[in-house]
Amino acid sequence: MHGTVPLARRNLLAEPRRLLASAGGVGLAVMLILVLDGLWAGIKSGVTVYEDNVGADLYVAQAGTYNFYGSSSRIPASMVDVVSDDPDIDWAVPVRAFFSIVDLHDRKVPVVVIGSVPGKRGGPWELGSGRAPANDDQVVVGRVLARRHNLDIGDSIDIMGRRFTIVGTGSDAFMASFVFMTHGATDALLAAPGTTSFVLVGTDRPHAVRSRLVAGGYTALDRDQLAVNDFELIARAYSVPMRFMTGVAFVIGSLVIALSAYSAIADRRREYGIVKAIGGHGRYLFGLAMRQTMMIAAAGLLAGFVLFLVGRSAIVWVRPQFTVVTTGTSLARAVGAAVVMGAIAAIVPARRLARLDPASAYRGA
Amino acid sequence: MTRRVSLARKNLFQDRRRAGLAISGVGAALLLVLVLDGVVAGAMRSVTAYMRTSPADVFISQQDVRTLHMSQSILAVDTVEAARLIDGVAWVEGLRYTSSIVEVPGGGRRSTYVFGYETATGRGGPRQITHGRPPGPAEALVDVTAAGELDVDVGDTVVVLGQPFTVSGLSTNGTNIVNTTVFVRSEDFASLRGPSIAYVLVGAEPGVSATDLTQRLDEALPGVTVQTRAEFARQEAKLVSDMAADVMRIMSIIGFLIALAVVALTLLTATLGKLREYGVVKALGASSGRLAMIVAAQAGWSVGLGMVVAVGLAVVTGAAISALTPNLDVVIGVRSVVRTGLGALVIGAFAAMVPLRRVTTVDPATAFRRQ
Repeated sequence: MHGTVPLARRNLLAEPRRLLASAGGVGLAVMLILVLDGLWAGIKSGVTVYEDNVGADLYVAQAGTYNFYGSSSRIPASMVDVVSDDPDIDWAVPVRAFFSIVDLHDRKVPVVVIGSVPGKRGGPWELGSGRAPANDDQVVVGRVLARRHNLDIGDSIDIMGRRFTIVGTGSDAFMASFVFMTHGATDALLAAPGTTSFVLVGTDRPHAVRSRLVAGGYTALDRDQLAVNDFELIARAYSVPMRFMTGVAFVIGSLVIALSAYSAIADRRREYGIVKAIGGHGRYLFGLAMRQTMMIAAAGLLAGFVLFLVGRSAIVWVRPQFTVVTTGTSLARAVGAAVVMGAIAAIVPARRLARLDPASAYRGA
Repeated sequence: MTRRVSLARKNLFQDRRRAGLAISGVGAALLLVLVLDGVVAGAMRSVTAYMRTSPADVFISQQDVRTLHMSQSILAVDTVEAARLIDGVAWVEGLRYTSSIVEVPGGGRRSTYVFGYETATGRGGPRQITHGRPPGPAEALVDVTAAGELDVDVGDTVVVLGQPFTVSGLSTNGTNIVNTTVFVRSEDFASLRGPSIAYVLVGAEPGVSATDLTQRLDEALPGVTVQTRAEFARQEAKLVSDMAADVMRIMSIIGFLIALAVVALTLLTATLGKLREYGVVKALGASSGRLAMIVAAQAGWSVGLGMVVAVGLAVVTGAAISALTPNLDVVIGVRSVVRTGLGALVIGAFAAMVPLRRVTTVDPATAFRRQ
């Protein structure tokens, strides 16, 4: 009778608690990689939420403006009439946009204030409850802001020295909520009557209109340009810490796999000594180590997916301002990372096996 | 002669390679927490640099506006004169401010804060100019870090608020993780953005405390926010910490959970491989409590050395990140180390529970069995 003994598997399964702890450690590292990837994808999708929903094809702004968020564009409100003169424009409306910090429950809460003309585009595109602001004392706040700070329709909120009544709840931006108010209210807040931040333009011929506006000395950006620039702005703040954390998670995963496989081999060196004594050659032993590390990596990957699903639900439930997006690319990257972790981790236990003295088979443990 | 043998230490370090892997694993997990903490601390330091180093004792801003970062503040120009009339005020100066983009024609661009200040006094300007001089008409001071990134020097042209400015000098400590700072003459700022001012800087007369002056200004000037320099900096730091708190909490929990798994794995492997020795110790009369102490000591060693590795790596990594990414300041502070260390001790205690049952229930007879 001829048969093979699955030594790697048996060795690992001989101590299920160790395998469980290893899978947990590697799983958490994989989960961290997936969470970071998911947050990054969430940033990408969340950064254009205004542009994606407001329906404008072009944004006319002050020269030197590249972003929608954090921009200080200030142009005369009469620019709407200038822009509207173009024959290919379907609609043009003024919109004011700026960041502000609101103090709520002893916390500093960043909000994106959007000022639009009641009844025209540029304001809240969907309402969770209530209605759009009709006068200069009313606001619609993002649902996440309302939920986190127990704000309801009819409640008051103080922004830059003025008290507003909440008349509805609407959408949120990335890690900040929108506060929609009338354009007139923003004129008063910034003491800037007769001005606006952007003129939003709706047209079927955006390229032609943009060319004419630029030729006329105006700055006009389309949704894709704003998206790229806004993402660059945010990426600048987050990319290095996120890349660092992903790198550390990878190192941790590799170390845990190596520790687990190495311990499993070291604790059973007598058995491996026997394998070597009966002719187990170097390549076979390396394969043995590799199989063990790959099995731990696979268990860790599985645990990582489960932990990620649990963790993502917990994060989004407890902190709804975060969007964790799962993509096929991020899942593939996690699988790739686990495989590479397993391969790198095989080095230490493989060296241990290579140096193992076959005579250890005859020694007491 | 009697001599105590540290069984915990010997058990843990008998196989140095295994100990190295374990301690590196714990260290890497704690490194995550420390460096992230360091990034936030660095951001706090750089974001508050302007107010911390300002000669002003008191800052006045629009009502309910207590910060500078991500904030808009609009004050009437006559706020300056109104403040000057208050008893105890030595000097008053208006500061113009907005966020914008600084770009090099045909080159790169950076998000920036633009300050319009009185160059005659320099009170609202940068504390240090490393090259060149304060800005004249149509000139700007650019922060040295951003200047390096944009590859501009004194005499070059940058575009700010849509207008070209000649770089008159380079300032310091004005670039943070998100943006940089550009200083122009107050008059130039006003010609582009209108006459209103954003903040009023106030100096106290000798013998007048900032707190007293704040109170006087607050009572005399309705509809504004008056803060001492320290309070303004505290509010700014709080903005960073509040914004980062949620991310920090999530990442710290994951980091500590990973450390917990690694310490548990370390203790488990260190215990399982030595069950016979534990049997010998028990056969010699050691109580279960004594064996539990050995496991606890192993947890302490793992966490303690992991923490040492983490702090060492954090200092080196932080310096490397700061060197490679000049806008990112990583500050590994004592408080952060203590906080992470305490957290690590708690997870060490939890991890020790994993092999505890196995050790305390070990049969002394295992000492006499051949494995």
